[in-house]
Amino acid sequence: MPDPQDRPKVGSDFSSGVDNLTPEERKGFKDRLSKLDAKLDDVQQRRRTEVETHEDKAMRSKGMAMGLRMSSELVAAVIVGGLIGYGLDKWFETTPWMFLVFFMLGCAAGMVNVTRAFTKMQAEIAEKTGGDIGQDLADVDDD
Amino acid sequence: MPDPIHQFEIKRYFPLEVLGIDATFTNSALYMVAATVLILGFLIFSMRGRALVPTRMQSIAESVYEFVAGMVRDAMGEQGMKYFPFVFAIFIFIFVLNMLGMIPGFFTVTTHLAVTAALAALVFVTVLIIGFAKNGFGFFKLFVPDGVPPLILPVVVLIEVISFLSRPISHSVRLFANMLAGHITLKVFGGFVVMLLGSAGAAAALAPLPILAATALTALEFLVAFLQAYVFAMLTCMYLNDALHPAH
Repeated sequence: MPDPQDRPKVGSDFSSGVDNLTPEERKGFKDRLSKLDAKLDDVQQRRRTEVETHEDKAMRSKGMAMGLRMSSELVAAVIVGGLIGYGLDKWFETTPWMFLVFFMLGCAAGMVNVTRAFTKMQAEIAEKTGGDIGQDLADVDDD
Repeated sequence: MPDPIHQFEIKRYFPLEVLGIDATFTNSALYMVAATVLILGFLIFSMRGRALVPTRMQSIAESVYEFVAGMVRDAMGEQGMKYFPFVFAIFIFIFVLNMLGMIPGFFTVTTHLAVTAALAALVFVTVLIIGFAKNGFGFFKLFVPDGVPPLILPVVVLIEVISFLSRPISHSVRLFANMLAGHITLKVFGGFVVMLLGSAGAAAALAPLPILAATALTALEFLVAFLQAYVFAMLTCMYLNDALHPAH
């Protein structure tokens, strides 16, 4: 902890240093600062997009693989449900009730399949981006 | 117009019957043998040096290993590496079969539901065996999610059972349908070229259009050939993971 009595002194030294600047010098500093700021932003932006496009490519082929999964995931469960219902109907001679019930259950199972696959995918993305799904990148450099 | 289905025809080479089962050596079997020989040949040849600093071939083999190992570790963790050989065999077998099919005039084994269904059934039965061997009756926990009110539990269990039984179907049909559809589309576009060129007059000038489409589709088909092998192997990992940890 610095001695509290020192503080005003340091502060006044510093401010007097700033006060010594002429308006032109001050303006020059400000200009340089804003130029550096812009440069830094530029580099940061470029690096970010580089990382993003790289990640994006990997994610896109993975996403396509996932997308191809979903449709068959949904349809397969409906088919299985329908077939089980049809089989039970044949067995117990309850046409069409078992089919109707199991067709519905099949639809539900298809939804469960798809939801489960998506939840897993979402968790993977969250892990990669540090829990930030759908983050607004434009806001990142706001103070 | 050339028949787009013709390419999927099974040709019987040597009639053979084992224990009353028709085990004729067909073109499908020939390509499967060719794929196996190619895979074994490539892996043995590329790894023969076992160099610390890999040669080009060795680094290809190593990156295939790393790719599948990463997939297995992602899905099952380190203990899943026990099943690495199984997943690796499935991935590379399907991948090479798909890629062989991309060579013009070659037969694509994975366009036959019998083959993909057999592979999916192999995975399904393996999952059942491992699941019951590791967990005993605890494997049934797979069908009973946590925190479900007892009132709707029977319905949920039925849904879970249907969901589980639908796996081998979606697993096999996805690979089969994607490969079949892709190859038919390519053939149809190829057929358009022949038809347009055969027709007299201005229509012949349009022939380059389907060629362009077929070229783009070929690139897409290479991607699909890889992606389908990847998806098949990835789902195999996920199903094996369910067998290891049945509770959701």
